[in-house]
This record gives sequence, C-alpha cells and structure tokens, in this order.
Amino acid sequence: MAESVLVDRFKQGYQAVFERNWPFWVGGVLLAFLGTLALAWGRPWGVAGGLRVWGDWFFYAIGLYEQAPGFSLFLSEPAVLTWGLLFGAFASALLSRQFSIQMAPNWELLKGFAGGILMGVGSVMSGGCNVGGFYTALAAGSISGFAMMVGLLLGALIGLKYLMWEMENVTVKPLKEKPASSGGVDWKKIQPWLGALCFLALILWAYGLSFQAYTEVGVLLLLGAAIGLVIQRVRFCFVRAFRDPFMTGEAVATRAVALSVMISFVGFMMIKWAGLQPEMTYVYHHWIGGLVGGAVFGVGMLLSGGCGSGSVWRAGEGQIKLIIAVIMFALSNSLFKHYIFTNQAAQAWGQPYFLPHAMGYFWAIILVCLVMTVWWAVMAWNEETDKLTMV
Amino acid sequence: MAEWTPDEVLDARGLSCPMPVLKTKKALKNLKPGQILEIQGTDPGTRNDLPAFAERSGDEFLGEEQRDGYMSFFVKKG
Repeated sequence: MAESVLVDRFKQGYQAVFERNWPFWVGGVLLAFLGTLALAWGRPWGVAGGLRVWGDWFFYAIGLYEQAPGFSLFLSEPAVLTWGLLFGAFASALLSRQFSIQMAPNWELLKGFAGGILMGVGSVMSGGCNVGGFYTALAAGSISGFAMMVGLLLGALIGLKYLMWEMENVTVKPLKEKPASSGGVDWKKIQPWLGALCFLALILWAYGLSFQAYTEVGVLLLLGAAIGLVIQRVRFCFVRAFRDPFMTGEAVATRAVALSVMISFVGFMMIKWAGLQPEMTYVYHHWIGGLVGGAVFGVGMLLSGGCGSGSVWRAGEGQIKLIIAVIMFALSNSLFKHYIFTNQAAQAWGQPYFLPHAMGYFWAIILVCLVMTVWWAVMAWNEETDKLTMV
Repeated sequence: MAEWTPDEVLDARGLSCPMPVLKTKKALKNLKPGQILEIQGTDPGTRNDLPAFAERSGDEFLGEEQRDGYMSFFVKKG
C-alpha cells in the first residue's frame, strides 16, 4: 500500500514539473540564478558564441576557412553552453511529451531562413544575441546592453509592422498535415524515458570531460542543460518581452525579463566587485554596435519567432522552422564575423565601456534597476490602457 | 463530437508563435459578440497563449480538444 502512495506522489510531482508550464517569473528568477552561477564558475551565459563555433567548424570542414577555429567544437566554453541549451531543451521536451517534428508552410520556413540570417548578422555587431548582447551584457555592466535594448525595441516594432502587413497581403497556404504515423509504437509513452536517457547522457558527457581535465567545461555543459530545461518548461521567450506589449498588450514576459536583469545585475556586480571575475568580463562593443545590431537582430527575431535562445530551444522541440533559423544564424554569424565585422572592425566603432567605471557600483545598480523598473512600468501601464498596442 | 459549434474556423496548423495568436486577434475582429471561433493549431505554446490572450482581450476561452494530429481551441467573442 505504502508503495502505491509513493508512486502516486511521484506521479503528481512529475506532472507538476513536466505537464504544466512553469510561471514566467519563475523562469526569470531561475535564469538569473543560473546565469550568475555560470559567471562565477567561468563564463556567463550566451548563445550566439556557441552558434558561431558551430558555423566556424562547418566552414573549416568544407575548406572555406584555412585556419582551424580557435574554439573547440566540443571542448570550448561557448560551444558547450549552447550544446547544453539544445540538448537540455530537447530532453525537457521529451520528458514533457512535447517533442515532435513539426513541419511548417513554405512561407514560414522562408521567414525562419531570413530571420536566422538577420539574427546572425545583428548579433555580430551587438556582441551577442538577445542573451549575450542584451541580457548578459547588461547584467555584466556593459553599456552596449542598454544600446541593444533600444535597438531590439526598434527592431521588434519594425518586425511587428511587417507581420501585420504580411497578414493582410500574403496568403500563406495552410499546411496539409497528415497525422504522423507512429509505426504502432506509443511514442508519447516512450518520450519521457528517452528524455531521462538524454539527461543521463549529458551527465555522463560532463563526467567524461572531468576525466579529461575539462571539469570547468563539463560544469558549463550541465549549466547550459539546466538553462535548457528551465527555458523549455517555462517556454521563456525574450522576444515576447519586446514584442507582446505592442502586439497583444501582454507584459508578462517583460516583467519577467526586467526582474531577471535586476537580479543578475546584482549577482554579476557582486562577483566582479569581489574580484572573482575580471571587471571587463563580457563588457565589449560600443553602443553603436548594440544599437544597430539590436535593430537588425530585432527584425530577425520577429520573423523567425525566436531569438538566440528561443530559436535553439524550439529547435530542440523539433520545430523545422526554428531548426532552419538556428542553422542560418550559425552560418551567417560565422561568415559576417570572419569577413566583414572582424575584431578590428568592431574596435573602429569604439571602445567597450563598463558602467561602474563611470558612476561606481552603487549608482550603477540604482541606474539599471531604475531603467528596468521604468520599462516594466510603461509596459504595465500599457497592459491596462493598450495605448502602445499596434495590432 | 465537438462540444462547441464554431461560427468560423481558423487553420493555424504548422504556424509557430506568434502567428496563431496574431491571426486569432484578427479573426475575432470580424466576429459578432457571442460567436465562436475555432483555432486549429500544432504549436505547443498556443495552449498557454490563447487562454491568456482571451482573458486579457475580454473574450472567453471555452476549451480545447485533441484532434488527429492537432489541437482545436474554442474562443467566444466577448
């Protein structure tokens, strides 16, 4: 008897974690916590850096680049953070029985293609995607984070205008989808086991890394996977923070991202002030880069429907449109960085700037919290009044 | 059998976030209060997004039904 109660309780717990989606603000708090841990451990969370490593290796493999990429495909910090995100989200989707290869109409695939390219190019200029260029950069005290925020808002507005135009003027042929044949296997029942297996594989991968004296990289892989789990269970989406207030008026995501930035900013400043990590960690790129890159990226994320992290976790869920976006993101980011916006070109746009160097740590924290509060307050006001809602 | 009889059907299968919600918003504009819209979709996120959207917009989310290979959602215009 006691056993069946235990099994029952376990089932309830499982449903609470993997059946229902977690509240958005929980995602904000957890991501801030995991991001701060990642910085303390070695490298703050970013997505575009890992995607670029994938792209670099692809072009090296086909002979376009002569030199081998500086970052290893499986043993470098940026690469494993994004591997972790992808496989963590994949495993989480399986555990939630939400994995399925999802085809999309051709027009949507084209939007994923174009959106991926714009995001790849934009993230080179701004020094990272929505995460690395805005979220983590701002938390790290880089002025470019503010600039990218403005750019992203601008890009989101332009992108939304386009989506509205598209709805009126482009007829997208609906997908004639046949129900996927499961070949007699109850696919939904197997998924959670496969998901658990996938998490086990990630842990073994990290364990294996520590045997090769790559413990630091292994832990980042697991942190990336934890981020993937959280982000998939919440369906956390940075795009929504920028887009939804103008689209449906909803500010749930905006609140969560603003809260998350405040928490991680305090966490990052503690680590930097205490000297655990150099002050200039993740502080780079001039504000022009953030602004221009953010706007280009913003249009791209509206087209594809996912930013850097959002595209990767949706790709892990099996959505073909976002898989295309991720591939194009990686390839265009690599090419643009390699041929056009090299490190020298980035320097010509100005110097990186660390916020506390201008005003001290105390006022930097006040300023960031103030800006986040204003962003939140304006969008919360709009939630009631719909003054800024365009659709 | 369907519990609700829709006055209008929106096929959003294969579309991912935000298109199902955006199209729902537009489709609801053309309905009269009390009329029911059925939204067919395949994006797992739509399951959270539509009830939240309906609550904010003053429409009523009636419920969902699992179909063969997709989900159907029912929203009554408020």
